[in-house]
Amino acid sequence: MMLTLLDELLLFSGATLLVALFIGRGLAAGWMVTILYGGQLLALLKMAVLGYGGGTIASSLSFEIMGQELSWRFDGLSWFFALITIGSALLSSWFSCGAWERSYIRQGGNIWLFHTAMALNVFTMLILLASGDLLSLFIGWELVSWAGFLLMVLAGGVATSAAMRYITYAMAGGMAIFGGLALIYTASGSLQLEAVTTAVEQMSGAKLWLLVILFGGGFGVKMGLMPFHLWQAPAYAETPGPGSAFLGAISSRMGLFAILLVLVKLFGIVNIESLKLPFTPIDARDLLAWIAVFTIILPTFTAMKQNDARHLLAWHGIGQGGYMLLGVVVADAMGGAGGLLHVFNHATYQAALFMAVTAVIYRTGTSDLNKLGGLVVRMPLSFVVLLIGIIGLAGLPPMNGFVSKWLVYRSLLNQGMPLLFLAAVIGTLGTILSVYKLIHNIFLGQLRVEHEHVSEAPWSMMIPMLILSAIIFVTGLLPGIPLEWVASALQTVGLPVPDHTLGGIESASGSLDMIWVIGVLFAGFGVGALVFYSAGRSKRVHQLDNYAGGHFLSADVRYQYSDNFYAGLMHLIGGWYRGSFLWLERSIRSLVEFLSLGMQGLYRRANAEFYLLTTALFVIAWVVI
Amino acid sequence: MSTNLVLTIALPLLGAFLLPVLMRSSVAIALWSGPAILVYGCWTVAELWLSGFAQPLSIAIGGFAPPLGINLYVDSLALLFAFAVQLLGLVFWPFTLDQESARRQSLMLLLVAASTGLALSGDLFNLYVFYELAAVATFGLASASGSGAAYVATLRYLILSGIGSVLTLFGIALIYSQTGTLNLAHLAQLAPAQLNNSLGLTAFLAILIGIGVKAELFPVNTWVPEIYATASTRLSAFLAGLLSKLALLIILRLLLLIFHQPEAAQVILILGILGVISGELAAWRAKEMKRMLAFSSIGQLGMIFIAMALPDGKGMLAVLALALHHLIIKSGLFMLAEDWGGALERLRGSAKASPLGAVLFVLFSLSLVGMPPLPGFWAKFVLITELAAQVEPLYLLGLTVFLLATVVEASYLFRIAATLYSNPAPDTLSEEIPKSKGLSLATASLFGAGMIAVALLIAPVGDGLQAIAAQAQDVDLYITTVSPAVSGGSQ
Repeated sequence: MMLTLLDELLLFSGATLLVALFIGRGLAAGWMVTILYGGQLLALLKMAVLGYGGGTIASSLSFEIMGQELSWRFDGLSWFFALITIGSALLSSWFSCGAWERSYIRQGGNIWLFHTAMALNVFTMLILLASGDLLSLFIGWELVSWAGFLLMVLAGGVATSAAMRYITYAMAGGMAIFGGLALIYTASGSLQLEAVTTAVEQMSGAKLWLLVILFGGGFGVKMGLMPFHLWQAPAYAETPGPGSAFLGAISSRMGLFAILLVLVKLFGIVNIESLKLPFTPIDARDLLAWIAVFTIILPTFTAMKQNDARHLLAWHGIGQGGYMLLGVVVADAMGGAGGLLHVFNHATYQAALFMAVTAVIYRTGTSDLNKLGGLVVRMPLSFVVLLIGIIGLAGLPPMNGFVSKWLVYRSLLNQGMPLLFLAAVIGTLGTILSVYKLIHNIFLGQLRVEHEHVSEAPWSMMIPMLILSAIIFVTGLLPGIPLEWVASALQTVGLPVPDHTLGGIESASGSLDMIWVIGVLFAGFGVGALVFYSAGRSKRVHQLDNYAGGHFLSADVRYQYSDNFYAGLMHLIGGWYRGSFLWLERSIRSLVEFLSLGMQGLYRRANAEFYLLTTALFVIAWVVI
Repeated sequence: MSTNLVLTIALPLLGAFLLPVLMRSSVAIALWSGPAILVYGCWTVAELWLSGFAQPLSIAIGGFAPPLGINLYVDSLALLFAFAVQLLGLVFWPFTLDQESARRQSLMLLLVAASTGLALSGDLFNLYVFYELAAVATFGLASASGSGAAYVATLRYLILSGIGSVLTLFGIALIYSQTGTLNLAHLAQLAPAQLNNSLGLTAFLAILIGIGVKAELFPVNTWVPEIYATASTRLSAFLAGLLSKLALLIILRLLLLIFHQPEAAQVILILGILGVISGELAAWRAKEMKRMLAFSSIGQLGMIFIAMALPDGKGMLAVLALALHHLIIKSGLFMLAEDWGGALERLRGSAKASPLGAVLFVLFSLSLVGMPPLPGFWAKFVLITELAAQVEPLYLLGLTVFLLATVVEASYLFRIAATLYSNPAPDTLSEEIPKSKGLSLATASLFGAGMIAVALLIAPVGDGLQAIAAQAQDVDLYITTVSPAVSGGSQ
């Protein structure tokens, strides 16, 4: 039997899992696994033709079980997501080797389980991305959910309760998809993609609505779409450092992949647009767009209130997912490209940000934003990485986040959706405010006495961070590189493809050439530098050689302003934080608790015979009448 | 060779009566005779299966042809369950040697004999007799642990089961008064003409509720949590795993052969839905592992009842798959619970003390909530595709309840898993942490291995179950097998 390229990739990934599982206890195991991720990346690059134009590569693996055919294959969309998956796994795993690994073991962590969980996540994600029919999609989906649970739960303590919350949400989502699957099967008699497409054409509006809700909701749980977003931030944030970098980069994007495959490719945006919401002027597509926008705004402003750097980033991860969905449901050439490009861009800067924060934790032992400050003088490289990351996250030039957000905004304007545009801009405003809080409270301001002797993060952690930073900048300068892959992915799901160049997008309604943008920007920097250096030698002063409010400052006087950040703004918008979703979640929980109590009471009663006779009398009476 | 099959009932029965006597003369012979009988039983059934068993057959006892004489009806379904009874009897054999062991072992043999009879009987009255026999053996075994709580639980169970039996007998009497026969094949012939009325429906419902006591049918299942929590774990495993399924089998046969009224299915559906809701919700708050498993078992049986309510035998495959899956998983979980008794909080840190047990627990739980590619997923998949194909809203309600219940199920099962893997409370000594060990862990591993084997061989297993389901559904085949003279008579 000839192995196809996809078989090779899956075998490689499976082998990585086995290596982690069986010889993952030694210290060199981390390096070994990292090298194997590199091997997976090579195997993926051998399939690069998928990223440049399309076609599919099938796996020779296929089953027939109980009349269901299961098959796996890769196309442009799978390849694009797989590239991000393996790339972020490779860099996160690299980051975890050496120094971080040793400190993790010292703190009582189980490094074997960590590597195994990572390898399992990658393997299951590849299986999900390769799914060739809806049944294999569901199988992959559940595998990914449970693998994610393993990674989230392994830190113990707080992480366990976050992971338990996650698995309840994920199970609910999974069951919604399972129900949808059964309904589709009833309608089409098969779970093969072609059969489903045909069946959707003949489906009644109500049924398609139900399917959109079931699948959209189910996949949305993993993406953290409102109102299913509560689980995500704590679950990702409490995962051990490199794990949260990996999860934050790609894990919830599996939801977007599934939405693209099922809602966009199989159901079709046109069909979804034809579903009207009764008694309102909006349709299902508008509904999705507004969900996306609220997913941008609310979690972003929640992020602003976080006092833990990891939680702040994780909340942003939820918000950024909203931009991706927004772009995809606008579904014109620019929107689709922007949404998909943002998946790639977000993965790069989110991983870099989580790694930078993990590096800070590694050196200082805390990620509490009220207990840090002034680290720029001690960890300058980490500062640069974090700076590059937050510029990307905030969507400002010259980093890659700007390109994808620009595309999404542009498409909203082109399609005449000013309200959505406005809402998206509000979200970006919140992002800029909160990432400033992040960098200020960690790196700027006053260095704390206890951090006087902190040194820069070790190279084993620094190199992956620098690689990511380079990617963030290069793909910001030359967005044409990832746009090529995005175009191929768009083609596979049947969305229009924009005209792209190495520097950006060509369009009648407004082009973007990042080479020019960045050229102008750096020319501006050059002028500034010229002014700065022509002013003569500057004098370096110690941080504490300073005064404020007429007093000289000394190390024992705290002047780092971090607690109650943005007090003025909070005075204005503080009343909007009501925790309604938390309230909703708790009410559901209490309801289940209450019902459970009732049911236990039912079984605790001693009058079982009474039940029996009543039931008997009841059914006999029912028959007679 | 097929007549050897009678011995799978007769030998354990004989053994059950001789064992106390044998025990007095030679302990060694007595100790080994029970397992030997069961091994022989397993072998007999397996041999029949392996020797190319394709067509069902009917064995007339004593040479009297049915419907006058009584007969055993052997098709793949019956054989499968007969095999399961003998095998599980062996697996759950009470090996412990003490004062009570003679009594316990002979009761176990009695239970096996009666259960095999339940699987093979082709006659309503015989079914009733075996059912009662099984009940008597169960009472004895349930109270054998000797604790006060066990006696109270058994007494409650005894009374409930007794009233249930009376109700069943009442149903059987109604059928007899209407048709004048109790042979299932004969009844299947007469049913369309004589039992397709409200009298027939009343008879069926009486039998349903009566036998439902053992099948954990809502609301006559209130004995379940108490008995499972107090009786010996091996017995709980046998009851939850197997006996409930045999009671199901009787109801299933009656539904397939005799009672085709939609109202019958409707009642089963409603009671099944209520069973799922009540069982899964009650399990959510359970503070003790065995009790949680008992409630979860009620929920699972509810799901099987929902499958059974599907019209025209469409749910047959789902019933079979769910029942066998539950048999394997719940038995395994109960075996793990044997060493993990007491409050759930005590289990903190058990994963370190017994890693294999914890891994098995997680695997069983995953299969129970239906994670692909474990067998539980396929069983659930078969059920929900059939449910979704129904147009009646009640079935869709069943589907919704089923899906929601699975979420609740995952939540409580993984709460235990999280407890197992969490660090023990700081003031506990390491000796205090319960550890799964020895025989119970070995038995649980056996079920775990079985589950994984099924997961790997899911394609052939699925085809096999489909064939069994198709054969069991064929009413004409049943009739012609039992009484060849009337071949084609039911058309």
